[in-house]
Amino acid sequence: MKDLIEYIARSLVDQVDKVEVTQQKGPGGRIKFELRVAREDMGRVIGKGGKVANAMRILLRVAAARDEKQATLDVVEPK
Amino acid sequence: MSQEQRTTLEVIAPTVEEAIQKGLEQLKLTEDAVDVEVLDSGSRGLFGIGSRQARVRLIVKGEQPTATTPASIIEEDVPNHEEIIWVSEKVVSDLLERMRIKARVKASIRPSASKDEEETVLVNIEGDDLSILIGRRSETLNALQYIASLIVGRRLNRWIPMIIDVQGYRQRRERQLRMLARRMADQAVHTGRRQVLEPMPPNERRVIHLELRDHPLVITESIGEDPHRKVTITPKRH
Repeated sequence: MKDLIEYIARSLVDQVDKVEVTQQKGPGGRIKFELRVAREDMGRVIGKGGKVANAMRILLRVAAARDEKQATLDVVEPK
Repeated sequence: MSQEQRTTLEVIAPTVEEAIQKGLEQLKLTEDAVDVEVLDSGSRGLFGIGSRQARVRLIVKGEQPTATTPASIIEEDVPNHEEIIWVSEKVVSDLLERMRIKARVKASIRPSASKDEEETVLVNIEGDDLSILIGRRSETLNALQYIASLIVGRRLNRWIPMIIDVQGYRQRRERQLRMLARRMADQAVHTGRRQVLEPMPPNERRVIHLELRDHPLVITESIGEDPHRKVTITPKRH
């Protein structure tokens, strides 16, 4: 799951080394992923109206379902 | 020739780079043959709010008449078919591998059928039990297609339309949709009432609109907002 998000994000941004994916255990075994990219690249992983981020969430859902898990994805501001 | 030839072209695209690329393709020139003037660098609109398209003006340099630009220069910049196929198969395979889906991926190029239609990459995915890849209302398939085409476009430095299909699903679905369109059109005519179809993604709505475009007795229209946007079929008034 993490590798899927990393792969997509790295393929879409300019600053590849700023891509960071962290994961936390959420309630009910749900996995919470956070994606951080350079500020200038945020638009690229979010997309117009959140289109890119939503497509990533759909693919993540499939990957999670393979492990009988549920996962969420948030794109967050860089630290 | 004392008078400098100054052909200019204004292009609008999501980003400055894309606008320049688009303009150069239209002019069939390479970047060193033009001066670029950024009219509006656009804004990506973080979180998708208030995003504005970029606008650039390309000014063809006088010494380089457009008509005689050597074809070889253009070809070097345009990815060839093998490269498009290879990159498309690679990207889709990489994505599927990370989604833990075992499948075979085969890409091909569909040449443009008419002047206003671009050539398209067709990617077909074959394997066992791939219904998970299609999803409800082909949501997953469309997400995969969208992400893959973005990545491929970036790798090739050129956006090329991509259609991903799973075991011929889209073809079968298109046939169903055409039949549905004709059936609902008949119903609209017989009952004299507007028929509202199920919500559909844009590519499926397009099939319905196209199928009934030349229908003498009905008109089609889409209502609502994605992802709940629906096609309506209304009998024409006489």
